[in-house]
Order: sequence, then structure tokens, then C-alpha cells
Amino acid sequence: MAGSKKIKKQDLAQLLSQWSQEFSLFVPSRTSGLAEMTEYDGQDISFLGWYRNTIIPPKASFLPHMEEMFSFHRNKQGHQLELPPLEEQKRLIFAIRPCDARALTILDNVFEDTYPDPYYRGRRRRAILVGLGCTNPYDSCFCTSVGSGPSETTGVDIMLTDIGDELVTRGTTKAGEELIAGSGLVKATKADQKRAEQSQEAARQKVTRKVDTRDMASRLQAVFDDRDYWQQIAAKCLSCGICTLLCPTCYCFDINDEGSPEKGTRCRSLDSCAFPVYTKMPMENPRDEKWRRVRNRLCHKYEFYPMLFDTIACTGCGRCIRLCPVNWDITQILEGVPELSQAEGPK
Amino acid sequence: MTITDISQRKRFLAQGNVYLPHIAVIERIIDETPGIRTFHFNFKDERLRGEFTFESGQFGEFSVFGVGEAPFCISSSPTRQDHLGFTVQRVGRVTNALHRLAVGAEIGFRGPYGNGFPINNLEGKNLVFVAGGIGLAPLRSLVWNVIDNRAKYRNVDIIYGARSPADLCFKYDLDSWQKDKTVNLFTTVDKGDDKWKGRVGFVPQVLEGVAPSAEGAVAVVCGPPIMIRFTFPVLEKLGFAPEQMLTTLEKRMKCGIGKCGRCNIGNIYVCRDGPVFSYAQIMNLVSSEY
Amino acid sequence: MQQRLRRKARSLLEQGQVDWIIGFEPGSLRFTTTPLITKDKDDTDRLVVGSFIVNNLSNFLIELSGRVAIVAKGCDSRSIVSLIQDNKVNREDIVILGVPCPGIIDLSKVEGLVARDRDEIDDIARQDGVVSVRVGGQQREFPAGQVLFDNCLGCELPTPKEYDILLGEATSPIGEPTASQETLARLKDMPPDERWRFWQQEFGRCIRCYACRNVCPACFCKRCFVEESEPQWLLPMPRWQDNLIFQAIRNIHVAGRCTDCGECERACPVNIPLRSLTRDMYDIVADLFQFKSGMDIAAAPLLTAYEVEEAEDLIR
Repeated sequence: MAGSKKIKKQDLAQLLSQWSQEFSLFVPSRTSGLAEMTEYDGQDISFLGWYRNTIIPPKASFLPHMEEMFSFHRNKQGHQLELPPLEEQKRLIFAIRPCDARALTILDNVFEDTYPDPYYRGRRRRAILVGLGCTNPYDSCFCTSVGSGPSETTGVDIMLTDIGDELVTRGTTKAGEELIAGSGLVKATKADQKRAEQSQEAARQKVTRKVDTRDMASRLQAVFDDRDYWQQIAAKCLSCGICTLLCPTCYCFDINDEGSPEKGTRCRSLDSCAFPVYTKMPMENPRDEKWRRVRNRLCHKYEFYPMLFDTIACTGCGRCIRLCPVNWDITQILEGVPELSQAEGPK
Repeated sequence: MTITDISQRKRFLAQGNVYLPHIAVIERIIDETPGIRTFHFNFKDERLRGEFTFESGQFGEFSVFGVGEAPFCISSSPTRQDHLGFTVQRVGRVTNALHRLAVGAEIGFRGPYGNGFPINNLEGKNLVFVAGGIGLAPLRSLVWNVIDNRAKYRNVDIIYGARSPADLCFKYDLDSWQKDKTVNLFTTVDKGDDKWKGRVGFVPQVLEGVAPSAEGAVAVVCGPPIMIRFTFPVLEKLGFAPEQMLTTLEKRMKCGIGKCGRCNIGNIYVCRDGPVFSYAQIMNLVSSEY
Repeated sequence: MQQRLRRKARSLLEQGQVDWIIGFEPGSLRFTTTPLITKDKDDTDRLVVGSFIVNNLSNFLIELSGRVAIVAKGCDSRSIVSLIQDNKVNREDIVILGVPCPGIIDLSKVEGLVARDRDEIDDIARQDGVVSVRVGGQQREFPAGQVLFDNCLGCELPTPKEYDILLGEATSPIGEPTASQETLARLKDMPPDERWRFWQQEFGRCIRCYACRNVCPACFCKRCFVEESEPQWLLPMPRWQDNLIFQAIRNIHVAGRCTDCGECERACPVNIPLRSLTRDMYDIVADLFQFKSGMDIAAAPLLTAYEVEEAEDLIR
């Protein structure tokens, strides 16, 4: 970890204030009544005391629960369409966890693909992500089973490692390095770097929930048509939207018009494949039955998306496990997917 | 890496934004049946009018501003660019709003989306078009496309049916094709009325009677799911291989560009990798999903 | 009680008296249980009772076909009775395994008292009216009233009245109804515009996950009004105004059938105090019609029954 710098936690407020001159700064907070990333108020860094992870994932900064795509009004010349004003200022998301940062790279694949999404892209390109490695993973975290980990740097520009009173900082992209270079931080000593490595290893040991996800796509494919299996899996699911709406890698959205033909807006809002009307057509609904929706969700994350992009569309943040009203646990379900028989073998 | 590479296809983006519709004006409204209307439209933007192209089988996302957006296939032919057309059955919020529009009204259009029919693969082949009800809409684009380049294709059979004579769509096309000696049209209805003097019978049964040869042939099937379900076995019996049977799949769609997620079957998106699929491809898709 | 439950559930399945068992089994997180819905008699060895059996299992009755044995706390049994009154479930098709309930522990209250998250707590044990919480070797004790769910504090029927088998000794209500409605009382004291601002802030967090609706046994419509598009009552977007109206209409729809089981508030991932609305409706129904849902299986559902001598002062 050559070139590492560091900062004392007690000096953090000063650094954040410095950064908030250049960026629209987001930090974890609970002032709204729940843990989410909100704009830094200039003083409060008390999140260092309680922050493990937010309830609303940081994807909300790039794919908000609701956003205006364009507005329209009708005058004598007909309908006029107006795009919303471009956000000029750059964003800095501070203390994003590795699972959530990696999740954004998973969303990137979808939103940059084929027809790039201008709204998502615009925010994404203007954002710097400063990651904070975990020191206290939840018992519901399983990042190490899905290609991530409490100190992974995929998706962040700067990685912070907590070594007690201080945070060791390291730029992992050019933009991150430039930002650190311009921030007047002191160099981290070799001893600091050693402590950082130890902190990272300790965090990794603390992730105790594990699932063997090798060949998971093939295993799911093998059991795909077993209706009885899926009905049993889906039995206690409520078909609410908690797991999907609060998942950092879920991105399904709906498009609706508000207003009237005279004046209104077209908005995008997050949707959920768990809802019965998600696939409803006038004459039929291919996923009217709950077990089909549950099967589709699981297979999308662990089979279909990997077939397209070579990565599991889940980063093990554990929100779905913590927040599900009936404790439907994706890691238990995955453990239960039958192993491939000798005849089937991995594909 | 996505399944369908459409990087070479032309895109017509408004202000570079893939969600922003172009404004179009309705120029003509044709009542096909009591619940089905065809709209002819053209873009307000002159340059776009001149430049716009599409392929038969592709669809657009049509907007009624203030109400919403819905996908419909483009039912006009790319060989006849004096107008663009789409055909709408009145079943819900957006379709009801569309049916309330008059000539001169403005709508939004995003597209063309989807893969379209593989018309190059149809050259030199015998073509069997099988359609039911409003399913003729995507097919008619292809039929006119074929007729306008008639020499490239061999025998053309068109088998079309509807529930009753009143439910037959595109009656003006049926008249033209009846008179056209270069195509063979077989029209039928499930149930006749006192004025109907034509054939009575279900489309799959009429197809069985026509018994087109499978040799060097491609069948294109479009219609209600139950018609398709009974048509494929007939084609199989006639010797058509799964690769020789094409159809269009219908799913609830919103974005039309493979992002919002809802039209997926397994790892493919019907809006981007379809809506045209061969029966061979459909059999390979996660089958019991569909 | 647990052993008795397991034996009974197993024998009901073995003797073919029921096709399904719905109960609780240990969850995948500490101090959690999860619904167990099974046809397999060997699964009954996993059934548990205790202070963490929080779900209202009657929610699952409608989905299952066949005869069902269901574990029911007092509040759950009221929901079952309500479903029977609505003709959604036949009494002959279910076997109610009644569980007298001393109140369920609200983990978020425990977490708040010890300033730790659930996975950092070593043990939670309960003996009569005292709950001991052990964190990092240190033990702290709290009166049960401090850590039970709000609605448990004011529970009117901890022991089911309608049951086939009662699995334990009847328990008496905790008897702290005021404590169970603190937020509601605070709201009633607020002037209207302050109350409006309160709800504007609360519903600003709503993400329209519909967990409140899906966890509620009284919400059993196949197609909810929010899913209609012709006419479109509400846009599916999470604007605070629409979120508030959704909850208001939902409350009106479940009026007379809500049993104040509290599941809606517990399930809400963004901490909206939904019980302040549902309890208010519950009290209004009790006040206007002297009706408490699910207490009397012979009664007709509130809004379908008509008495000639009904109070008419509500028509003003």
C-alpha cells in the first residue's frame, strides 16, 4: 500500500468541510428517522459512532426512488418537452461500504449497456466514492461469498481503513489519488499500513455467514422447472417490495406520467419484480403465481444476470435478510439449492 | 456482454436522450373493428421524417402525454414511407386514451426498438404467414415489405382468421391480397354471420388444410397465444423444423430498451433481444417461464 | 408448551386430520423466528414458541388449500375469527392451536436500551416479568413492560378465545394500555398543522414497498386499489402525499377488521409509526359501533351488519 496517507478521526470534520467546498457531500446520517446517506450539514460526524450500514442503499444517489425524466406542456405550437436541469455539482459519497460500491458497478453494466441511460450516467460520472472498509460486519453480511469483502475496493475511488483513532487513506483510481493529493493529508507510516492490513484481515474473519456460490447458475438451472420445490421456497414470502427496493443491486423501474396532457411530467420510480402486477398484461400475467416471482428474482440475481455479465448480481450486503418481515433468508435458500449430480456436472 | 448486438442499428434519439420521445402527429385514423384502431402518423420534425427507417417487426413506445406510454408494433411497411402506422386494441388506460385522440392530435414516439423480422433470411424461400386477429398488425408490415420486393421471395401463402367477420382487421389489405395473383390468401373466421360467405374454421385447421410444403420454407406466426399454441404442432406435422418457425412474443414493457427489467424471460429481454424469435430459440429459453 | 405443540402438530399430520401446519421455527438471525409452512410431519420437530414469535400467521391461511393447523397467539386468533367472518376461511378447515401470549419482545427496543444491534447481543432471557439482556459478559435487567411491543402492552386478548387446542395456561393482559399508545396520544395533543408536518415528514420516507399491506391479514384483496389503472387512484410513485393517502385508504378498508396486531408498524423498513393510524381507526370503530374485531365468532363483520337502532349521530 505505497503512497498511503492518513487522517485522525478528530480532524475528519475539517476534511469533510474542505471537500464540501468542491463537492455536494453525502455522509451517513439518521436525522430523517432512518439510516441513509444525506447531505453533510457541515458539522455532524457522529455517524462514526454508530455507522455499520445504511438502510437505504447509496444507489439512491444514482438511481433515486423517484426522479423526473422530462416535463411537458402544450402551447399553440403543440407539445413541448423539457429535460430537467443538469446537476452541475459533483457529488462525493463518503463512507460507502465495499458491498454498496461494488453494487454500483453491477448497475453500471445495465445502465451503460446498449442504450446508455443519461440520468444514471450523468450522476455516476460526476461522483467520487470514498469507501470505508468495514470493521464490524453484521451477522447477515455474506459479501465474501459473492466476490466481495469488507475491504474490497471495486467501485471506490478512495478506500479508508479504520485503525482506531485514525483512518488510513488510499486512492484506488486516478480521480481518488488526485483528490487525496490535494487534501493536505500526512503520510501513513509503515506501522500504520500494517495496522490497516490487520484491521482488514480481522474484518474478513468476522464475516461468518458463508454460501458456496460456485456453479450456482447451473444448480439453479437444473432445478428451474421443479414447481413443488419453488412453491415450498416461496411459501412464506409476502410479495412485498422490501428486498428489492432496498437492495443495492436491484434496478427495475416503472415509468409514469403525472399531470395532464396540458402540463405534466414523466417520472421514473423504482419498481419490484415481487409485485404481482409487475408483468401483468391485459389478457394474461405470466408471473401471477408467487412462486414464479420468487423464482425469477433469485434466478435473475444468481443465474440470468451472471449469464450476461459474468458476475453474480448480489454483493452480500444482507439488507434483505435483516429487513424481511418473515426472515426469508437468501443464503439459506441458496444453501438449499440441490448440488449438481455427478451426471450434470458444472457447465 | 448482451445477447443482441444492435450497435450497428440506426437510432433516432431526441436530444441524445433515449427516454425522450419525438413528437408525431396523427394524420389518419382507421377503425379496423369496434375495439381496434389503426393510426397513421408522421413526425413533426421534417428532417426526421426524411431520415427515419425501421424494420418490419420492430416496435415503438407510443406516448399520450399526461397519460402514459405503451409499446405497439409498427404496422406500416418500411417500403412505404408516406406514413407510419400502429394498431391499437382498447384494453386499458393508455389504449383508451389513444382511442380518444382525433386526427391532428400529437403523440410521442420512441424507437424503433426490438430486433425485427430477419428479412434477409427469408429471401429465396417459400413464405407461410399465419395470423389471427390483431396479430396481423406486425405481419402486414412484413407482407407488404415482401410484396414490394416480390422477386426476392418464392411462394407466399397468407392464412388469416379472426373470431368473427366483424373482428377481421385490415380488411383493405385482405381485399388487395385477394386480388394479388402473386400471393395466396386464405381468410377464415371461427364463427360466421348471416352475410359471411367465406371459410369458417380455426386458423390452425385451415393451415392444416392448406398444407404448405416445409421445403425451403419459413413460417411466420402471429396471433393470440392459444392460436400460436395450436399452430406450431400443425407446422411440425407438416415438416417444419423449429428454426423454420418464427413468431413474436408479447410481454408487458415500459422502457423498451432492456433496462427496466420487466419483459425478461430468463436472461433475455423481449424488448431488446426480441420480440421476434424462432421456435428453436423459444424452446431454448427457460421454458416453463413462458 | 413447545413439546406439546410439536407432538400435537405431528399427530395431526400423521392422522391426516390436516394437510398443512403453519407455525414458527427458529429464524436465521439471533432472537428471530420465521414462519414454518409445511406438509411434512418431520418438520414439526422444529416448531417453537416463546417471546419472539412475532408474525401474524393468519396471513397465510388464504393461500393454502386444504385443512390447516395454525399456531395462533391471542391477536392472531382474532384475525382468524375476522377472516372466518369475512368468509375467506372456513372454520371446519382449520385447527387453531392456541398459544397464550405473555407479550412479544420488541428487539428494536432492546437494541435502543443497550445501545447495541441485535447481532451484538449475546442473550435475551425472560423470567416472569423481567427480561435479562447479556451483552459482552455484562447482564442488565429490564421490566418486561419496557421491552415488549407497544401493542402487546395494551393487548386485550392475550389468550385466544377461539381455539381447538389451548397449548398452555391462560395468561392475563399486561394491562398498560396508555403505554401502548404513546405516539398516538402525543399526536392527538398536537395542533393540526404540526400534526400535518409530522406526517409529511414520516411519509416522506415511505418507499411504497407495501409490506404494511402484505403483512396484514385483513388486506387480502387479489387486486389492491393501488394496482388499478382504470381509474388510476394513486400513482405508483412514492410522493409523500400519495403515500399518506395510500395508508389512509388502507385504514378505511380494514376498519372493523384490524385487530391491532402491530405487524404493519413492525414490518415497515423505514420506521413509520403506522400503528398511530391503525390504532386510531380501531378506537374510532370501538367508540362509534362498540365493536372490537375478532372477539366474537358469531358476530357479523362490522360494515356488513345493520341494526335498525343504530347510532345516527355520525351522519351530520
